Amino acid sequence: MPDTDTSAMQLTTDQASDAARSAARSAASSSVRRSSPTGTPFTRVLGIATLISMALLVLFGLFLSPEDVVQGESVRILYIHVGTVWVAYVAFGVTALASLAFLWKRTTSLTWDRIAGASAEVGVLFMALTLFAGAIWGRLSWGKFWVWDARVTTTAFLFITYIGYLAVRGLGGSHQQRGRRSAVVALLAVLEIPLVHFSVKLWRGLHQDGSVSDTTKVKLHDLMLFSLFISLIAFTLLFVWLVMHRQRVLAMQDALEDKGLDFALEQRRSEAGL
Amino acid sequence: MSAAVVAMEDVGFILATYIATFVGSVALAAYYLRRGRRLAAQLPPEDKPWG
Amino acid sequence: MFRIARLIAAKDLRIELRSRVVTNQVLPFAMIVMVMFAFALKTDEVVEKVAPGLVWLATLFSLLILVQRAFAIETADGATEAMRAAGVDPAGIFLGKALALAAQLAVLEILLLILAVVLYNSKLHAGGVVLLVTTLLAATIGLALVGTLYGGLAAGVRGRETLLPLLLLPVVAPVLIGATRATEAALGTSGAVVSDGWPWLGLLGVFVALFSVGGTLAFGPLIEE
Repeated sequence: MPDTDTSAMQLTTDQASDAARSAARSAASSSVRRSSPTGTPFTRVLGIATLISMALLVLFGLFLSPEDVVQGESVRILYIHVGTVWVAYVAFGVTALASLAFLWKRTTSLTWDRIAGASAEVGVLFMALTLFAGAIWGRLSWGKFWVWDARVTTTAFLFITYIGYLAVRGLGGSHQQRGRRSAVVALLAVLEIPLVHFSVKLWRGLHQDGSVSDTTKVKLHDLMLFSLFISLIAFTLLFVWLVMHRQRVLAMQDALEDKGLDFALEQRRSEAGL
Repeated sequence: MSAAVVAMEDVGFILATYIATFVGSVALAAYYLRRGRRLAAQLPPEDKPWG
Repeated sequence: MFRIARLIAAKDLRIELRSRVVTNQVLPFAMIVMVMFAFALKTDEVVEKVAPGLVWLATLFSLLILVQRAFAIETADGATEAMRAAGVDPAGIFLGKALALAAQLAVLEILLLILAVVLYNSKLHAGGVVLLVTTLLAATIGLALVGTLYGGLAAGVRGRETLLPLLLLPVVAPVLIGATRATEAALGTSGAVVSDGWPWLGLLGVFVALFSVGGTLAFGPLIEE
């Protein structure tokens, strides 16, 4: 596959550090585009769009957008944090829907199962990033890495739950079994989210230790709002790109396992003289 | 860039967050692509219906 | 379905009565946990305040062992597969095992409450009895349903049992929160009043509803091999 000229990816920015960062990204992407068997023209375009929007995110998030009146510079973390938490929840929604689709049709369409798995994996990464960025932001904004309010706690709950989901996917057995088991776990997890959220809300609501989540109301003007939108778009594009590639890798993994099984069966048969 | 006084430690945290996010994403992307390349080498084209 | 459930529950309880694993191993475990909580906490006041939470924590840790046990007796001789091959309704198996588990859990919880009164200086009072009993019922049923469901998933094959705590503990978080708050209200811990507890009971009720329906539907596909 011919690569597009990597110099086209070099965006001029004000800061050397930003240029270095995009250089690193385009270097990675060019070495990768040289032979990317899970890529298609669509994902290539998607990948370029992702890189561009990420660069814009850095530009606006770190440099062009103003600091907040109350939060100061630490509001810049928000541009990452909101993007990652959005994707994390979208990812788990996709996992749930794909799980439903897999169970519903009861066909041999393991594609749904693989989409569920790929989405959950990517979701776990973004969940971790969300918790990380959130903790840093909390530290800067109100001096604490953590707060036991409904949103934060539910996010942590989801994080652990989906790590468990991924563990269930790794239990082995046939692909159908894997699909069925993990689909059930995913759907139960999704149904539990409102329950957990509500219990924590009820729990912390009774204590009123100055519910810190209220101070997360940031006044958003123009450029800040724009930066947030860029963040949402950039991370969504990244999410779709990652899930598409991962789903294809999983498809190949499954195909390889099936072939391995066929091969083993063939061997047994020839040994038995059939 | 910003006019206001920037607390030095804040900048460190903010940059750390951005860097961690991008490093994490790139690492995952690279892992998927590398895995894809290795698996694709062992499979015939009919097992890769998308390309 | 209910006939099967009764038979399965009776079988499980009979096995327990003969082997006495729960009485000889799990209950002592729970007692040790309660004692160790006291070691870990500094003063009597602190312990008294957190007593309801400790009771439910000890219950949850014991639940993990109870669930493992409930399914170990199945996989030891491939009993579940045999039942399925014979066409036994999986929903019946689910309800039956959950029923047996609930019975064992109830015994455990009553013991732990008594221990809390003795070790942690918790005080039972007449006004909170109704709330306390209903909380115990709701929480026990909820835990039994969830435990049976995820136990079925994680049962048997080596490498699967270690998954149970990771799967089960997050899922029972609402029960921990709800049961603890309701128990605090029932016992009057930290100035809680009985009326505070009823919303939490509602929460437990939703949990039970969710997992009775969800569990009955999901158990079949989960144990299908």
